[in-house]
Amino acid sequence: MKHRIDSPLTSSRYYRWVAAGVLIASLLLAPIYLNRSPYQMEVVTGAFFYAILASSWALLAGVAGQFSFAHMALTGLGAYTTGLLGRDLGTSPLTGIIAGTLLAGLVGLIIGLLCLRLRAAYLALFTIAFSEIFRIALLTEFQYTEGSNGLQLAPLYEGITPLAEYYITLGLLLGTMALMYWLASSRFGLFVRAMREDEEAAAAMGVNVVRYKVLIFVITSMIVGLAGSVFYHQVGIITPNTMEILQMSLVIAMAVIGGMESLLGAAIGAFLSRVSLELLREINIMGVHIEFGAWRYAAFGLLLMFTLRFAQNGLLYPIIDWLFLRRARQEAVAKRKQAAEVES
Amino acid sequence: MIELDVRNVYKSFGGLQALNGVSFQIRGPELIGLIGPNGAGKTTLTNILDGVHKPTGGQVWFNGERIDGLPPYEIARRGIGRTFQVTRAFRRMTVLENLLVPAMALHPTARKRDFHEKAMEVLEFLTMEHLANEYARSLSGGQQKLLEMGRLLMLDPDLIILDEPFAGVHPKLMETIYEYITTVHEQGKAFIIISHDMDTIFTLSKRLLVLNFGELIADGDPNEVKHDPVVIEAYLGEEEEKAGPAMVETYLGKDKKDA
Repeated sequence: MKHRIDSPLTSSRYYRWVAAGVLIASLLLAPIYLNRSPYQMEVVTGAFFYAILASSWALLAGVAGQFSFAHMALTGLGAYTTGLLGRDLGTSPLTGIIAGTLLAGLVGLIIGLLCLRLRAAYLALFTIAFSEIFRIALLTEFQYTEGSNGLQLAPLYEGITPLAEYYITLGLLLGTMALMYWLASSRFGLFVRAMREDEEAAAAMGVNVVRYKVLIFVITSMIVGLAGSVFYHQVGIITPNTMEILQMSLVIAMAVIGGMESLLGAAIGAFLSRVSLELLREINIMGVHIEFGAWRYAAFGLLLMFTLRFAQNGLLYPIIDWLFLRRARQEAVAKRKQAAEVES
Repeated sequence: MIELDVRNVYKSFGGLQALNGVSFQIRGPELIGLIGPNGAGKTTLTNILDGVHKPTGGQVWFNGERIDGLPPYEIARRGIGRTFQVTRAFRRMTVLENLLVPAMALHPTARKRDFHEKAMEVLEFLTMEHLANEYARSLSGGQQKLLEMGRLLMLDPDLIILDEPFAGVHPKLMETIYEYITTVHEQGKAFIIISHDMDTIFTLSKRLLVLNFGELIADGDPNEVKHDPVVIEAYLGEEEEKAGPAMVETYLGKDKKDA
């Protein structure tokens, strides 16, 4: 007898592909409108970068359960590596990006190995300490790093346009998202989710928890190392401020608002948050001009508090749930009722 | 042939001696009950068998290979599977995904779809096939225990250790668990069952091990073990004559009737 399996995570696949196609097509065509304003183009390109950071953090913390604060530090590590190699050894941005990605992966490996027995708050505190040490080292060793003045990075290539930067960052986002989705739906995803739920039980079921815990750190570190080294070539400068806890908290807040167990939710949450933060700099309502300044971050904080209190799966999850998961759940409930009727 | 050799195993946690020179053997598909008062060392022994703890002294051999010191996932892959005293289903994963974890871990090149059929057969056996797509957290406590046992069927170990399989379970589900144990045992699997449900453990098991203060104080036929003065003293703190048969029955269950 053949059994049909409709997992809530895999059913409605057809609708998901259609939605993904529409979304990707919109992003590819968006420059037709955005190209009128270099500022808008820059904001959206930056939002893509934050979408990579938030979705990879969602993979690390939401899917695999490793609540790390080292993400921004590893992003900065990638950027500083390529920047320093370019300045001191004259290497090309491509060589620097590869080196930055690999070095971020190596540091991720070390963090993973050191944190094998650390969970929850202990892991968070360990990675905060790592990030702060790295940031302070960058500030203190200013003769090498330029300290708080920031390290200049050459453009990816001479004559690069905002449009090219847009597509490069979008390509990076789509590429990393595809990789992360493939990982999350493979045996790797199955095992890291089991590990998130209960490491001891996963090990008792034959899962090599040490290997997967280290791997998840290496992979997500390489993703943010790559993103950081590419993006800051576009920005042209990296400063230690990028690695402040506040910046890391912003990435986490973006992922939480979008839904930290959903890669897509976290990416969309980060994109919308980043764009909203820019839009809120100043607004005009019926002729009244309001400049929010730093208060927009307070509004962002309130939104985060609202999410944590009332929508722990993220604000976007109910929409994703309604669009893609509702039908599968209804089928499951129907099967349950049918089985109960047969029993009675 | 299933062969387990526990050789003079010691385990201490700081100043506490949890196991004190425990030795026993399993040969073939035996159905063994492991009992003892609270704090006797039952769970510690289980944790040593599945690799969570390393023994302070002694050795554990399984099917001709020394396994103490191996990580739990290696021991699971060598054929020892267990459930936990407090149920540990992967709560934010579906029932089906829970079953796929051990199967995929055991077969590194397989795909998930290769095991769907087997997973559904396991769920049918456990009368849970209609719950395949439900998240484990939505199951009752008893159903989560069954799910843990289902995961073991996917892991397909030679030796199955069940830690308190009947605790807090609805009588109807107890019947299913009972049937699970007898059916899987008949298929050639060895069992070690830890339980405080004395009537069930005496009825079910063919051999009983009794731990007290980290020492194995009895090993043998359940009816003989039940009337062993050392065991009665461990449970009641006094001799059988003083305690009386009613008290013995209360704490150690009814006598097992011959089949």
